[in-house]
Amino acid sequence: MAQTILKQWGSKLAIAGAIVLYLLPLLGMDFSTYMTLTIAGLAMGMMLFLVASGLSIIFGLMDVINFAHGVCFAYGAYVAFSVFKYLNAWVTADSVFLNFGIFFIAIVAAFIVVAVVGMVVERVLVRRVYGSHLFQILITFGGMVVLTELIRIIWGPNDEVMPKPVSFAGNWNIFDIIILKYPIYAIALGLIVYAVIQLILKKTKVGKIVRAGVENPEMVQAMGHNIFLIFTGVFAVGAGLAAVGGLTMAIFNLQVYPDMGGAYLIFAFIIVIIGGLGSVTGSLVGALIVGLSYNYVAYLLPSLAVGVNILIMVIILLIKPTGLFAAGK
Amino acid sequence: MAEQTPVQIFRRQERQKQYRSGTFFLKLAVLLLFILVPFLFPSFKSLDLALKIMIFAVLVASFDILLGYTGILSFGHVMFFGIGAYSVALLIGKYGNPTYINLVIGFIVALGITSALALIVSFLSLRVKAIFFAMVTLAIAEFAIILATKLSGFTGGEDGIIMSMPGIFKVSFNMGKFLGVEITGRLITYYFILVVCLGLFLLMIRFINSPLGRVMQAIRDNEPRAEAIGYKTFIVKSISICFGCLVSTILGGLYAMWVGYANPESVLGIPIMLDVLLMEIVGGMGTLYGGLAGAAFLEFAHSFLPDLQNFAKSLFPGAHFLHAAMERWLLIFGILFIMVVFFFPKGIIGSVQDFMARRKTAPSI
Repeated sequence: MAQTILKQWGSKLAIAGAIVLYLLPLLGMDFSTYMTLTIAGLAMGMMLFLVASGLSIIFGLMDVINFAHGVCFAYGAYVAFSVFKYLNAWVTADSVFLNFGIFFIAIVAAFIVVAVVGMVVERVLVRRVYGSHLFQILITFGGMVVLTELIRIIWGPNDEVMPKPVSFAGNWNIFDIIILKYPIYAIALGLIVYAVIQLILKKTKVGKIVRAGVENPEMVQAMGHNIFLIFTGVFAVGAGLAAVGGLTMAIFNLQVYPDMGGAYLIFAFIIVIIGGLGSVTGSLVGALIVGLSYNYVAYLLPSLAVGVNILIMVIILLIKPTGLFAAGK
Repeated sequence: MAEQTPVQIFRRQERQKQYRSGTFFLKLAVLLLFILVPFLFPSFKSLDLALKIMIFAVLVASFDILLGYTGILSFGHVMFFGIGAYSVALLIGKYGNPTYINLVIGFIVALGITSALALIVSFLSLRVKAIFFAMVTLAIAEFAIILATKLSGFTGGEDGIIMSMPGIFKVSFNMGKFLGVEITGRLITYYFILVVCLGLFLLMIRFINSPLGRVMQAIRDNEPRAEAIGYKTFIVKSISICFGCLVSTILGGLYAMWVGYANPESVLGIPIMLDVLLMEIVGGMGTLYGGLAGAAFLEFAHSFLPDLQNFAKSLFPGAHFLHAAMERWLLIFGILFIMVVFFFPKGIIGSVQDFMARRKTAPSI
């Protein structure tokens, strides 16, 4: 009896359990703090989702673990840093229009530059080692080291302060709950990106080919589509998404540093392990879990903040080794 | 003697050749070189270099048991090295006094922690696909670094722990001259570490050539088949991980004994992991001796690269970009790493072995 109930209602029970679990921190703090932390957690989750989704799609389609993905994140942040420096007047101007303009320009610039970097990485490094996981890991790891060092050569080895557009600072005060502006923008950006990815995957022909490629690349090739062109394209888009995540995270933390990719790559790995490799929705759910838990625990028990993500990963690996939303494979 | 099976005949031939082949004398010569280093090059720098080559050679060989012989890529290997170094440092330097008993306890505690942790890691991550293992171990290793840096009350944070050694391992210990070289605590530590490293290395060779080692190689080559034949691949893999990590832990303790401190950067960091990976790839996967070649190559490069930089500066005085690139030795190593993976996937030892095998078989065809 109990087993049939578990089977029928398993997913709903899990969702209910998760909601209860995420309401628990309320016991340790008052409501306005809880809301602030929740919004910060959701924002962090959205930024991490941008990184993890690219990693996840690349794995799902191409069966490649890309250790150089974190560096794409750092490149996005640094390109945005350069754009902000070059058009500093727009950043410091007290005009919502100009601020959003520069934000948009930075996103487009970061996306394009890093997509080109991703294309080069795919063409030069990854293409030669399709099919061998060990060599993929080794090669992309080497690529990560080289690209990180290139950041140090191009932008210098020191930490830099990332400026924040003027109208992105500040907060709204709704019923005594202080809501920072920027996290809301970040959440909105993440949701838009998620919607666009889903639309492209579900409604366009390219999306159909990509989804078919996740299921069975050989068959897609047999149908007459150039799978390698799609590989390159998906790799570039994945890298570009990581770059957008990097620039939003850099504005959030107000700093850029050459090693930032490594730290967030670990987060991205944890997220895709939790969510299931190859699934965009899984990345979103995993990222929100990681972002929220990190923020709650960082407030309640600061020293355990990083450990809690490892702990969640371990629990999920024990319950469901394939992750929450396992894709076709 | 009665009829022999083909395997027995082959084994007997191998055994007869064992002490006559050129490689055997080469190995002896390398060992002799390590023994004579303090007398041939009596400076601290060369002694330090020889010792680091030694420790990293054995560390890479223990990593090779995982990567080259079982086909498991673990980014957490250096974490166990760090556990060894930290527990020795904690018991001698911070929470105890430099006595022999504390040294021994430090090693025993480290081995205990390592076996528990290695078992947990392998049970957790071997449940998932092979590629996940690299990601999970990377996450755990990163966590260990953060732990060592953040818990500054316990581990000394970024600065780490400084310690002095007991009795005859003490730096200031001196018992007179021998063949014109002063026998100091340093020298005794050097020989102690040499003996332990040699023991560990021989143990690993024995481990690889045991029936269990053969099963590991079968798993590397074709895991579903090994499982179908009836071997419990999960348990064999776990044993392989535990063994490699235990060796790594002992080496960490020895390294801490030599340098006299343990901090996150020197025993836990990602750069060390990268070094080990590079040594492994340069030396050759699946050949325990590859570690020695790789470690020698990389440690020499580490100590002589500054000279090379100055040389390059004098050669091209105007090129600022080149100077910036030369100062970032990790960049050079990264490019080298990619090149080696592309063009010499078997590494130095593997390529040489291939060449020898080809030369041996060529005339008979």
